[in-house]
Amino acid sequence: MASRADILRSSGPLLHYRTWQGVFAGSRLSGTIAFVVVQTLLLVVLFALSAPDLHDSTLAGWCRLLLGAVFLGLWALVVYSRAWPIARLSLLLLLRRRLFWAVYALGLVSFLLFFFGQYLMSWAVTQLGEQSVRVGGFGRANPAELVRVFRDVLKLNGSAETFRSFFQLEVYGVMIVLALAGSILIGNDLRFGSLSFYLSRPISSWDYLLGKGLAVAAFINLMTTIPALILFVQYGLLESWDYFLTSGHLMVGIIGYGLSLTVVLTTLLLATAVWVQRTVPLIMVWTSLFIFCPLLSRALVDALRLDPRWRLIDLWNDLYLVGSRLLQVDLSRTQPDWQEAALVLTGVCVLCLSYLILRIRAVEIVK
Amino acid sequence: MSESAAAPLLLELDGICRDYGSFRALSNISLRLPPGRIGLLGPNGAGKSSLLKILLGLLPPSAGTGKLLGRDIASARAELRRLIGYMPEADGLIPGLPGVEYVALSGELYGMSYLEARRRAHEVLSHLGLEEARYRPLEQYSLGMKQRLKLAAALVHDPPVLLLDEPTSGLDPAGRDSMLDLLANLGRDLGKSLILCTHLLGDVQRVCETVLILHRGRLLRQGSVAELCASRQDRYCLQIQGDPSAFREELLLEGVQIVQENERGWWRVAVPAGWSNRAFFALASNHGVTLTALMRDDETLEDLFHRVLQEADQSSRLDSERSHGIPR
Repeated sequence: MASRADILRSSGPLLHYRTWQGVFAGSRLSGTIAFVVVQTLLLVVLFALSAPDLHDSTLAGWCRLLLGAVFLGLWALVVYSRAWPIARLSLLLLLRRRLFWAVYALGLVSFLLFFFGQYLMSWAVTQLGEQSVRVGGFGRANPAELVRVFRDVLKLNGSAETFRSFFQLEVYGVMIVLALAGSILIGNDLRFGSLSFYLSRPISSWDYLLGKGLAVAAFINLMTTIPALILFVQYGLLESWDYFLTSGHLMVGIIGYGLSLTVVLTTLLLATAVWVQRTVPLIMVWTSLFIFCPLLSRALVDALRLDPRWRLIDLWNDLYLVGSRLLQVDLSRTQPDWQEAALVLTGVCVLCLSYLILRIRAVEIVK
Repeated sequence: MSESAAAPLLLELDGICRDYGSFRALSNISLRLPPGRIGLLGPNGAGKSSLLKILLGLLPPSAGTGKLLGRDIASARAELRRLIGYMPEADGLIPGLPGVEYVALSGELYGMSYLEARRRAHEVLSHLGLEEARYRPLEQYSLGMKQRLKLAAALVHDPPVLLLDEPTSGLDPAGRDSMLDLLANLGRDLGKSLILCTHLLGDVQRVCETVLILHRGRLLRQGSVAELCASRQDRYCLQIQGDPSAFREELLLEGVQIVQENERGWWRVAVPAGWSNRAFFALASNHGVTLTALMRDDETLEDLFHRVLQEADQSSRLDSERSHGIPR
């Protein structure tokens, strides 16, 4: 009679795999090192672009340095965790929804406005000698007036204010996309018991959260940071190459603003999606957070003349304050300090993460 | 050195306890099992799930030590999950995902590269008869296909141990047969060790070599299915021809209990301690009865299970009465 070892040796196609040997097995180590090296080089280039700001000893300079470290750390975390397959699959699940594409297209309208607006302004600048020019099929306009409107009203001048306005407009689209994404990516895992599938594999609840968070972060950046960087590059190409050298700090600011949006919105979305799970209630909660709270804060500060710190209950405004600081744009006097806003956002993130960990630990893995 | 001596034991548990607050879910579980097909039986609340969680490394034991394939269950928890393919009772499927991507994701979470996991997913799905359905979204799978898909996700990294929680739950008889054949084949032909957790005793009898019976957190019985079913030494089946009345009276006088009889002359009897089989023939001869058959009356697994549980309940009731000083 054949022994168990004989059976193992002679068995069919199911037994020709070795048990998993670890993340450094085989050629994965070289890939990992290459990835980290590329990320480091990217950061060095990023800081070289914003070199003038590195020489000052202000807090902003240190913030940018810290931001760079977080950027590198996040990617290192991705490489060393099992989060990547979860993130990739979550992205695919969302990209397969037609509704998502419709909402995403809607969210990109403001990007298109800025993108083609810059072209229109560049063209208007070349027509400054003329009294009036024909603008498409819309009629005639004074090019000097056109340039004034684009530059002073819409702020399409490639300055920090351009990108701040862009982020401000874009976040409304982000809100709708995230409400949809949250229920599909996280709510469904709890409703259909898929969480036990993930957590019974050799991954931790952190890997799971990171994977889902990466998928959400990818969408936030697809709608905010990446279009903003495209606008930055477009402006440099339209204006002059010097723009890239003199406005390197803007690029860092854009990445910083995108990163703060990513971190805050991702943790908030994960927590709310785990809490309510279904799409419609999630949209209701999300709407309350980002429409009701701003209205309330305005009523308290502008109508009732309470302390401007009441604006801190508006998370959009908090993100706007932190983003403005990162882009080095001055704030109005009726706004609270950006440090206070940063503190509120940090508190919200910590609360959300604590709630997430508690909820995921409580899931019954084996029924 | 023989192979059995060289190979590590599948499971070594020594005094494992698990408490949830003041409630003790597992109490002093100690066992040593070689690789093989093991059935874990017990009614609801017996502690099966807690034991599974401990084996999967998802829950640390409150007391005691244990090893699975030589790895410590308290310290090597992530490594244990790599060695085990776990098939949960709950669906745990991801809506919108095709079968092949679901299995490949499982492979990636076990540490395979993307390409390796995809290739392996195709192989496993073909092996389990899901080749045709692999690109269909999971919502379109029948219950039987879902069960096989979950098995494929557990098998994708080729683990030496499979932990199966109610693998035939909700299946029709044909689907159940097919799943049990598949499991028996994995154990017998491919050398996988199985820990099958179920309340369907027939499943354990068909697939498993060894059975563990848990009740109220205690391990009541452990051993091979055949041995446990034959453990009751006092039962016999007889077939008699002729007038049985005098023979019956004589048996009763000797302390033999007649448990069951039918009109075709088959009797099931329980004999007293020290009984010799020759006495049946001697008594039959004395009373003009012919014994045409005499055999040991082994229990089915179901009989054994119910008897063991009943004995445990009686014993705990007696203990409780004694501790409260209630006279019988």
